[in-house]
Amino acid sequence: MTGSEELLKRLPTDLGGLSGDAISRTEHDLEPWEKRCHALADVLDFHKIINTEEKRRGVEALGAEMIGKLSYYERWIAAFANILFQKGILVPVDLARKMAEVEARRAAQP
Amino acid sequence: MGQAHGHDDDHGRDHDHDHPHAPIADDTPLGYYEIMEIAVRELLIERRLIGADEIRRQIEVLDSRTPALGAKVVARAWTDPAFKARLLANGRKACEELGISFYDDTELIVLENTDKVHNLIVCTLCSCYPRPVLGLPPDWYKLRPYRARAVTEPRAVLAEFGTLIPDDVEIHVSDSTAMVRYLVLPKRPPGTEAYDEDALAALVTRDTMIGVVDVSTDRERPR
Repeated sequence: MTGSEELLKRLPTDLGGLSGDAISRTEHDLEPWEKRCHALADVLDFHKIINTEEKRRGVEALGAEMIGKLSYYERWIAAFANILFQKGILVPVDLARKMAEVEARRAAQP
Repeated sequence: MGQAHGHDDDHGRDHDHDHPHAPIADDTPLGYYEIMEIAVRELLIERRLIGADEIRRQIEVLDSRTPALGAKVVARAWTDPAFKARLLANGRKACEELGISFYDDTELIVLENTDKVHNLIVCTLCSCYPRPVLGLPPDWYKLRPYRARAVTEPRAVLAEFGTLIPDDVEIHVSDSTAMVRYLVLPKRPPGTEAYDEDALAALVTRDTMIGVVDVSTDRERPR
């Protein structure tokens, strides 16, 4: 018994029935990029590119450490990138280049 | 939507549209994940897999969905028994009768609270929620404590919301999925016989339709 079998029985997003802290009734208005990320999820679903269940599994596939450290929409966009790579829709180098371009564009803003 | 946004266009829920080409007013560096979001979106648009306008339009759809829609459904069900029967038979169709469109493929099951049964909804695996009728879920609905505990200790969870359910009332917890979403039809509170539909709808808050609180006439609750 190493305890690792628990990792097989429970994927990191499978929380039902576990213990948990008292419920802290937190709420926040979404940041603009978070709302865009949500809209992107819906649009990807409309186009049958990534559906809700694929997104959920994509988040699960990030693993416990990332799920623990990333915020809700950070997990979503990371999962979308991975799923788009898996489906051959994007390749990592294109995303890396585009991210560098976005950052450079921002830096060039007066 | 080609450009990143300044943060100054996000004053809460009031803004009802996006500003696709708004100049960036501040020089705060973009966060890593925000850069990723912009990059993924722009790549998909460049490759014509999604339309440039679709994200903006979907943001408008998301902004148009608030618990007021669900409240309208509940108030109609309380005042129109035939509508209530249709709502319980097929939640999605009945909501569509009231002009509430479903922008996704989800099914909606409406769960009626009675003197014998109190319903509570949760998504243990993620954050599935009846977004077309309630808008986006509160953070606590998406966080571990609620998702973990609602299914095994619902009475304790409800007590944390100030909701005490008598022991002779069963609690039914429904776990949402990607395709099946739930909405609680709360009990109409006593003393509201004279209320019209709008007055009834004003009593119905988001949390009553998640099932964590009952509808009440004697206190103001945030939606």
